[in-house]
Amino acid sequence: MTTPLPTTELAHDAEEPVRDARGARPGRATWRAFRKLPLGVASLVVLALLVLVTVAAPLLAPYPASFGPDVLLPPGAGHPFGTDSLGRDVLSQVVWGTQQSVLVAVAASAIAIVVGTLVAVVGAYVPRIDAVVSMVVDLTLSLPVLPLMILVAALAGPSTSTVILVVAAFSWPEVTRLVRSQALTVVKLPYVDAARLMTRRHAWIIGRHVVPAVTPVIVVSVVVTASRAVLSAAGLAFLGLGDPTTWSWGRILYEAQTSGAMGSAWWLTLFPSLAILLLVLSATLVSISYDDARKPRGAGR
Amino acid sequence: MSIALFVARRLGRGVVTILFAVTVTFLLLRLLPGDPALAVASPNTTDEAREALLVQYGLDRPLIVQYVLYLGQLLQGDLGTSFTQSVPVVDVLLERLPWTLLLTVTALVLTVLIGIPLGVLAASREHTFLDRAVQVVGVTGQSLFVPSIGILLLLVFGLGLGWFPIGGAAGDNVYGAAWYGSVVAHLVLPAVSLTLIQLGSYVLTMRGTLIDALGADHVTLARANGLPYRRILWKHALRNALLPATTLIGLQLGFVVGGAVLTETVFAYPGIGRGIYEAVTQLDFPVLQGAFLLLAVTVVVVNMLTDIAYGFLDPRVKAS
Repeated sequence: MTTPLPTTELAHDAEEPVRDARGARPGRATWRAFRKLPLGVASLVVLALLVLVTVAAPLLAPYPASFGPDVLLPPGAGHPFGTDSLGRDVLSQVVWGTQQSVLVAVAASAIAIVVGTLVAVVGAYVPRIDAVVSMVVDLTLSLPVLPLMILVAALAGPSTSTVILVVAAFSWPEVTRLVRSQALTVVKLPYVDAARLMTRRHAWIIGRHVVPAVTPVIVVSVVVTASRAVLSAAGLAFLGLGDPTTWSWGRILYEAQTSGAMGSAWWLTLFPSLAILLLVLSATLVSISYDDARKPRGAGR
Repeated sequence: MSIALFVARRLGRGVVTILFAVTVTFLLLRLLPGDPALAVASPNTTDEAREALLVQYGLDRPLIVQYVLYLGQLLQGDLGTSFTQSVPVVDVLLERLPWTLLLTVTALVLTVLIGIPLGVLAASREHTFLDRAVQVVGVTGQSLFVPSIGILLLLVFGLGLGWFPIGGAAGDNVYGAAWYGSVVAHLVLPAVSLTLIQLGSYVLTMRGTLIDALGADHVTLARANGLPYRRILWKHALRNALLPATTLIGLQLGFVVGGAVLTETVFAYPGIGRGIYEAVTQLDFPVLQGAFLLLAVTVVVVNMLTDIAYGFLDPRVKAS
């Protein structure tokens, strides 16, 4: 996750003050501080477990059958999470739903991060582009995004790629907003001026000197964007705009609602809800702990 | 900057934002594969009949002409006709708008009423157990999925304990004073769900800005003068911390409206959000685009009013 820091003389000097007493790279120092935060480490473990479930879904549970003999069984020996109104195993749905939800979150936030960072950094570097960028970002962020996502998803037709693209399309402005404010201060620093004297290859300056300097903000926004993406995708699926051929946490809730079994079978809604909460909460805690870990010692809370 | 210029600027920005929303909607409708003529026609419509439909909807003209026509229609309050109900979309939506406004405004008022004291409590006891507890609740609140919390409240307080009705906005065959009682009873669970999901970020912002305000020079001076802590907290620090919190309410409005869509779906609350859910199942595109535009205009207007109120409250705007 941590991009290697620039090793040129110029960047070297600029990074110097951030080094800690032992002279380690800032990334190392942050990791050492992060390891001492129990909540952050626990959240990181939870995230790792969810990724493991994503990869190992076929080993953990069979793909949910289209129907089964035992309808609306409460959680018990054969079905730890119970069964739904068509007799399908809820555990299988949640396990396979993890795969879909994590996939959508990773794909959507990856697109949003790349586009958002690129737009922010180029904007900060070229003032003329920045005027347009900041206007588009402000305008998009002041609109009700979920109704807009619903309109697009309905027009494009529900599928996994639609959900990923729609969530990404309306998540990048938030990334740009976060990264841009940091990038604007970075491009005014003397070492960027020095780099401009050395070369006219602006892409090189941006990639080598500006992007590494905003990396911490990017790391935080990866986590924030991914957890927002989980919530948005689940929201779309809950309204019936998810991929109808794949299980996701939102679809389990949607089917519980439309089948009318929601009122009598609490296990249909509890387990996917807990899964969503677990993922989003641990992602949020990781980003908070990362922020805490980056603070110089003594200033931390 | 004089206050008149400030107000004029905010008005201008509001108009630009609405125009942006309209343009995005127009482009989406024309460029995405949900061809309106295809959507109304059944698969066995002949090509000639499709052509006729295209001409009837003006879809054979250049894009820019269509755009101008679209703007003209919107200015006349024409959002098209609902595919499924064959009535103007405006009528469908305006009938639902009051319920959505009632729900979101109640939730906003509850958020502020609960959020300010909680934020003050946490900030004034920084680093204590109480502060930690408020922070944990705040972070957890930010991570909630709206339907999850709605369904939980519905199962516990609606179906389990039977304290509140489980769906709709008012009882049938209830009139007079009893009708208002019924409306309030139906409002409780949706409003609480919507409050819970935005309370977290409000409390955390309130706490953060108040801690900053408590470190400001004028607060230190007030302390040095021996003013009672309570008075410094509520009068000197809170007043400055309230302004960023007010802006946050405006900024989060778009998010709250999204939450309202999901909440209304869970509770079958007859607002615009439930309308969107029903329009999705029937692929009623005119209702979907109308709902988005109406919600966007509402959010922009409310945001503009908050900003203008901010301008009158904050003396720095007039001074600068």
